[in-house]
Amino acid sequence: MSDVTMTPTSPSNGASNRTSPLQWVRVNLFSSVSNTIQTIVFTAITLGLLRALLGQAFSEEADWTSVSTNLRLLMIYNYPADQIIRIWVSAAVVLLAAGLSLGAWKVEPGYTVGRLGRHLVGLGLFSLVTRLLLPVHAPDTVRTWLIIIGVVSLVAGVVVQRGDPDGDRVMGFGTVLSGVALTFLAVLWLVPFGQYGLVDGVLVAESGTTVASSTKVPWTVLLIIVVASHRVGIILGRALGRSLRAALAAFWVVGPAFVIFVILRDPAFDWAHVWSTDIPIAAMFGLGGAAVLYFVAAPGKTEVARAVGAMLFAFALFNWVAAFFGWYPMLQKVRISFLIFAIVVLLVPAFAGDRSTRRRVAGGWVAAMVVFHWLLTAINTESTLVITAPPFLGGFVLTVGIAYYVMLASFPLGVLLSLARTSKLPIFRVMSTGYIEVIRGVPLITVLFFFSIMLPLFLPKGMGISDLAAVFAGYTVFSAAYMAENVRGGLQSVRRGQYEAADALGLTTVQRTSLIVLPQALRVSIPNLVGQAIAVFKETSLIAIVGGFDLLRIANSTIPNQPDFLGQKRPGLLFISLVYFVFAYSMSKSSQRLEARLKDAQAR
Amino acid sequence: MTRIRARGLRGAAASLVALSLIVAACGGSDDSSDDASDDASTEETASDDSASGDSDSVEVTQDGGTLAAVQARGTLNCGVSGAAVAFSYTQADGSMEGIDADYCRAVAAAVLGDADAVEFTSLTAAERFTAVQTGAVDVLMRNSTWTQSRDTEVGMDFGPTTYYDGQQLMARSADGFSGSSSVDEIDGATVCTNAGTTTETNISELASILGIDITLTTFEDYDQVVDAFIAGTCDVITTDGSGLVGRKAAQEPNAGDWVIFPATPISKEPLGPVYAQNDSQWADVVNWTVFATLIADENGVASSDVDGALAGDFGPEMSRLMGGEGELQTVMGLSADAFYNVISQVGNYQEIWDANLTPVGLDRAGSANASWTDGGLMYAPPAR
Repeated sequence: MSDVTMTPTSPSNGASNRTSPLQWVRVNLFSSVSNTIQTIVFTAITLGLLRALLGQAFSEEADWTSVSTNLRLLMIYNYPADQIIRIWVSAAVVLLAAGLSLGAWKVEPGYTVGRLGRHLVGLGLFSLVTRLLLPVHAPDTVRTWLIIIGVVSLVAGVVVQRGDPDGDRVMGFGTVLSGVALTFLAVLWLVPFGQYGLVDGVLVAESGTTVASSTKVPWTVLLIIVVASHRVGIILGRALGRSLRAALAAFWVVGPAFVIFVILRDPAFDWAHVWSTDIPIAAMFGLGGAAVLYFVAAPGKTEVARAVGAMLFAFALFNWVAAFFGWYPMLQKVRISFLIFAIVVLLVPAFAGDRSTRRRVAGGWVAAMVVFHWLLTAINTESTLVITAPPFLGGFVLTVGIAYYVMLASFPLGVLLSLARTSKLPIFRVMSTGYIEVIRGVPLITVLFFFSIMLPLFLPKGMGISDLAAVFAGYTVFSAAYMAENVRGGLQSVRRGQYEAADALGLTTVQRTSLIVLPQALRVSIPNLVGQAIAVFKETSLIAIVGGFDLLRIANSTIPNQPDFLGQKRPGLLFISLVYFVFAYSMSKSSQRLEARLKDAQAR
Repeated sequence: MTRIRARGLRGAAASLVALSLIVAACGGSDDSSDDASDDASTEETASDDSASGDSDSVEVTQDGGTLAAVQARGTLNCGVSGAAVAFSYTQADGSMEGIDADYCRAVAAAVLGDADAVEFTSLTAAERFTAVQTGAVDVLMRNSTWTQSRDTEVGMDFGPTTYYDGQQLMARSADGFSGSSSVDEIDGATVCTNAGTTTETNISELASILGIDITLTTFEDYDQVVDAFIAGTCDVITTDGSGLVGRKAAQEPNAGDWVIFPATPISKEPLGPVYAQNDSQWADVVNWTVFATLIADENGVASSDVDGALAGDFGPEMSRLMGGEGELQTVMGLSADAFYNVISQVGNYQEIWDANLTPVGLDRAGSANASWTDGGLMYAPPAR
């Protein structure tokens, strides 16, 4: 403690709040009698709450083996143990892309050495206070570790803070990332974690080893991948610039689906079928479509494009009606491809241009079709995994997977809805307003029940929808309505003059919307959209009610029904609240940073 | 003018039809390859075909029935609870355990020869019967009580009981209760149970019949009931005997602190398999799978004795059941060694009991679940 008070002050720095801790305490906490009373009362309440929480965590009946034994269940549910390498590969792919993206976009945390020092001091003090408040039942190892962590980080914090008395030495993201990775590795390799699982007296996982050792090596590799790929991202970003960022953006749309349906699900492709059907269909849509698009994207072909687009659109709609009545069999992906193609043909005249533009449009279409058909084929192919209780996704992986794709899918839907709601055409406005208000007026759980129980009854004969797909659709429909309102707020902030300027330039409606209005509107609504993303992440816990095995259901009903842990709910629930908190808090933090950055950008 | 436009429309319509025929031809060739991948946006499972309505499942029943469907699919879709200790629960490594899970495996062993060819679907109490009616599951093994209304109204049938349960009460011996206490001793006590279940109705009906005065408190789920009992908020808790015994074994502070009474339960809760109505071939398969485990138990044939039983060491009935004559099983549409697979891969009733119910403290001897030769209710028709 005395070390902290001896931290040299910087008297010249009166403008900033960098004063000595003692001064800071005097000014902020004990400046007057009422402030002093408030400080004491609320400190007592906080410490009391902490004491209660610790008492809960280390009480005699709280047995954390229910969590440590079921850690794998909580993370990946019943994914086959012999295929677990697929989980690690998936994590590696995602983290590789994350590292590259952080490097390519030159994300800077704006974290200073001085702040690191303060945070370390805070952590040290917190550990020591926790040590003092520990109940008597707490194991000795926890006490020892708390003292070690407390003293080490306190000393380190003071030393680090001295290196940056003015708080202006900004740390690069690479440094921060390496620091986090090293801390994580130190915890992983030094802290002795519990046994991996006694069930009916039989060890179900690596016998004689600990949880940490079974995941030590993979985690080490993953952390090295993150740090290294961040470096590589910076270097490649300098060399390639925009094209790398475009490729990464494309990855973030398609990549996770690739991870889920190809790496995790491992489809057993029937190659004869792929060659005879899937590839011809993809080629027909890809090449035929590219030819049509190349033709209609020429300037002056607008009328033709509209006519062709309208005809295709009518045909696509007719196809869906036919599907509903079961008039003639057709592959669903042909129907979907036709619909997408029709929409693209209708939109493309807005981006008509010279030969290179047309080539880009056609090339983009071919690439999109290849990826699209490949994924659809993968999704439709039987999985080679032997899963005793499908679906193959569960636990934390399910929570993250669903949350990610709901955010991704509901975003464009939300943008379209908000555009429709602000449209001049009454039919769009009425339909969109009706949709948004109906969905926002209905509880999420109702929407989920509708999609998981009612939707299968409405589908035409022979067409099915898996539970997960139904839940995903329900979440997307619900979230899109909220996204739409967030984006609408952004749209209203775009000034009239911007529309008029776009019109004066002779831009079409589509061009005006996509090039002038939306970029500005979306920038304004980003904080709200991130808020919605956090809400989606937390709301995934409702999957439990409609049959999915997410974190909540496993902690709330699976673990307490295992004979070894009968009725033990609290440890599991505390654990998953921690998981939810860590993720929601980091999302919220990054949104705050994004907000600050956008404010800077706008001020410039 | 109008005629021209009409002709134009007709032309457009004709070209649309032509185009759709081309596409349909592409699609048609695909469908014939027995891929069943009609639906691109969803993960396809074979059960989806029969899950889209009542009329559908009736059709399936008419052409070949569930047995043929399961054999064609190669896996059995079995509905379980997934969160009922001793009946069906998920282990730390993700596998499904319990007596209900084992009976799913037994049916899979009989039909497909492989006890592991089961896909478990965890169903809530609300979903379970719909899943049977729509054909989403071939058989439901989800500790469901066989009642008149369920059997007759909702379009499904019940198989032979695999576990005779019954509602009982649990109280503290410190309050003067013992295993031989009767229900009228709880006069004036606070009784807790979970909300919206038949246990609630049973206990209040019984209280009014006996003319005793109880305070009934209900909780949303059973864990809360037990927590309240431990905390002392409740004097007595009541639910099915199996649930009480499990909690007593796991959570009783000191042996003998808690007692379960009355010896004869206050309700009858026969639990067994459930399957869709009007498919007697499938009903026979499920029923005789259960009977096979009982007959093997009666004759003392455990999973290690199957070869001896086949050779006739345990008498002619066991030899017939193990496929010694063959005809008994093949007439049902199963392979001759169907029940040989059941006993060798899953075990007889006693083995299933020992694996799942003994660990939570449930004792078979002296209960209604003992074999009829030992004074219990477990009785199977003869295999001949």
